[in-house]
Amino acid sequence: MNSVEGLVTQIQGLSSTASDVLSLHNVLKQADDSLHAESTRLLPFLDQLDPSKHSLGYLYFLEACTAGPVTTESASSFVLIIARFISSCAAEQIRLAPDKFISVCKRLKDQVLFLEEPLRAVAPMLAAIRKLQSSTENLTTLHPEFLLLCLLAKCYKTGLSILEEDIFEVDQPRDLYLYCYYGGMICIGKKYFRKALELLHNVVTAPMSTINAIAVEAYKKYILVSLIHHGQLSTSLPKYASTVAQRNLKSFCQPYVELANSYTNGKIADLEAYVQANMEKFGSDNNLGLVKQVVSSIYKRNIQRLTQTYLTLSLQDIANTVQLNSPKEAEMHVLQMIQDGEIYATINQKDGMVRFLEDPEQYKTCEMIERVDSSIQRLMTLSKKLTVLDELMSSDPMYLGKVGRERQRFDFDDFDSVPQRFNI
Amino acid sequence: MASSSSSGLTFKLHPLVIVNISDHYTRVKSQMNPPPVTSTSATVNGVEPLQQAPRVYGCVIGVQRGRTVEIFNSFELLYDPSTHSLDRPFLEKKQELYKKVFPHFYILGWYSTGSDAQESDMHIHKALMDINESPLYVLLNPTINPAQKDLPVTIYESELHVIDGIPQLIFVRSSYTIETVEAERISVDHVAHLKPSDGGSAATQLAAHLTGIHSAIKMLNSRIRVLHHHLVGMQKGDVPCENSLLRQVSSLLRRLPAIESEKFQDDFLMEYNDTLLITYLAMFTNCSSTMNELVDKFNTAYDRHSRRGGRTAFI
Repeated sequence: MNSVEGLVTQIQGLSSTASDVLSLHNVLKQADDSLHAESTRLLPFLDQLDPSKHSLGYLYFLEACTAGPVTTESASSFVLIIARFISSCAAEQIRLAPDKFISVCKRLKDQVLFLEEPLRAVAPMLAAIRKLQSSTENLTTLHPEFLLLCLLAKCYKTGLSILEEDIFEVDQPRDLYLYCYYGGMICIGKKYFRKALELLHNVVTAPMSTINAIAVEAYKKYILVSLIHHGQLSTSLPKYASTVAQRNLKSFCQPYVELANSYTNGKIADLEAYVQANMEKFGSDNNLGLVKQVVSSIYKRNIQRLTQTYLTLSLQDIANTVQLNSPKEAEMHVLQMIQDGEIYATINQKDGMVRFLEDPEQYKTCEMIERVDSSIQRLMTLSKKLTVLDELMSSDPMYLGKVGRERQRFDFDDFDSVPQRFNI
Repeated sequence: MASSSSSGLTFKLHPLVIVNISDHYTRVKSQMNPPPVTSTSATVNGVEPLQQAPRVYGCVIGVQRGRTVEIFNSFELLYDPSTHSLDRPFLEKKQELYKKVFPHFYILGWYSTGSDAQESDMHIHKALMDINESPLYVLLNPTINPAQKDLPVTIYESELHVIDGIPQLIFVRSSYTIETVEAERISVDHVAHLKPSDGGSAATQLAAHLTGIHSAIKMLNSRIRVLHHHLVGMQKGDVPCENSLLRQVSSLLRRLPAIESEKFQDDFLMEYNDTLLITYLAMFTNCSSTMNELVDKFNTAYDRHSRRGGRTAFI
């Protein structure tokens, strides 16, 4: 009891300047165990501390309070307390103890999930991310938690705002996998298939030393989204994917790969038969909705193939080639595709003819100039970052150690001058 | 040794002379054995090497019509350190040869390199006085000074001045102008744009071309800024209002845009976009190649089961 009150007074005293805060941090680190031991009695002390001024001390107390199991009575009050803390805490102070902050936010997530109201934690978690990030290019452990909450609460737009930012630094690889996976799911929900494909691609090609379940699930979704968006699946992973992934992912996702094969054949009947046969496998992975979208997208793909062969076609012919039931359905499909911007065509309703047109973009406008210009700027910054990374990599001891070994020898002279390995 | 000349002669210098002198100096300097060390390695050794900038000598020839002296050409001479004079028989032989081709050319004086005229130079100067009663001394300063905007060439004349009661010949500086013939202008232009080793490769030519355009635009920008500053000052009242200047500025502004029509806009934007797209493509390629290298290095370093490239047997 005394030690706790002593701590409270210390926190109140030592929270003004940066150096004081550092010494306070050391004090708190030593007192951490005693705080945890008295976790049940800490709640009233929280009122004596001001979260905006004494953020670090408040954080330690809060973390000790919430360390116990989640119960119904405490859950809603804790949610309020934590939310209020996150919105008013001082960012510099909590960055001194990032793992405590992360565990507090995770408790928040557990509690709202327990109460089944994930929406309550979406805004606080977004604020928490902003305070914990050292820059907008930094990926923290809170990012995937936030995206999970957005998914469960179905507020995709807030999730998308976080996904817009480019990530350059990652704290933990698991964060990256989860972040991209959840991000991909959010984009699928909003039907931004291009961005979803990009995010899932990141998971699948991320460096990994052993295969993990997140990558397997992501690869399944990746196959399906790639079919919807591109109409085809590239058979091998690019060379920057880890060899572990290249060798093993396909074997875990066999039914999906076969689905892709039958899709590319173009026969709708076969595809539907295959889907029916494997319905429960797709259902157990919760991918049934995506699979249905794949099936409906095959019509679009076939119509797009028609644009490459014909200049004009009647609706009846379209319906026959694409195996739709009636010209009316064909007209609806074509109309939808014109609206989405997937093909350029005009429908003449008098004689039921569809004329396929070229892309009318002339690239002559000022908006196009601005678009290209901004892309060039983005590329320049990216290029600079890549050069920095390249130089870092060239001086990495692990790289230098291995590069000596792999030299090709073509000439007798090569053997003498080159050292076998760089002993660093 | 410095005061300005009072002889009233106008000097016209042709660029060929300057190019000749600098070429002579560069050749001699690069043929020096061993080549002079760079300053960085010198400080590492802790010993400052003796940087002898070699002095080169030669004669300048040209025409003197009335009060105008026009220096057309030059040729090199050897300096004899023992007698502190230039190689006389060679000079006379060269003079004869030049007389056959250019009958009007006379030996007007001599040249050398260095930062300033020295006392020993007077000796050479006097030796030449029997060919030309008032020879010229052209001095080229070979040290590169990036801050200096003028040519580092000075022309000295000799004058008889009374110093401490003794009449002495001293060097006095004269002003000169650069005079070019059309053929000279072309060759000087060509020499100015020479690049060191691979001047022919497309990349350096493109870079040189773009640098030229960049500096031109920069100059245009700075000039416009000066004008703008002046006009703003005029508007505020700091500078008195000059109507003639305002008229000139207004006529300048009315020169652009040259064409204003729909078709022009279309074509202009299309061409602009094309160039932008090409730049974009170039950036893309650059970025992709960096990324490719990075990925290769990463795979070599960290991928445990990467291909064992290993050693192939040598044939």
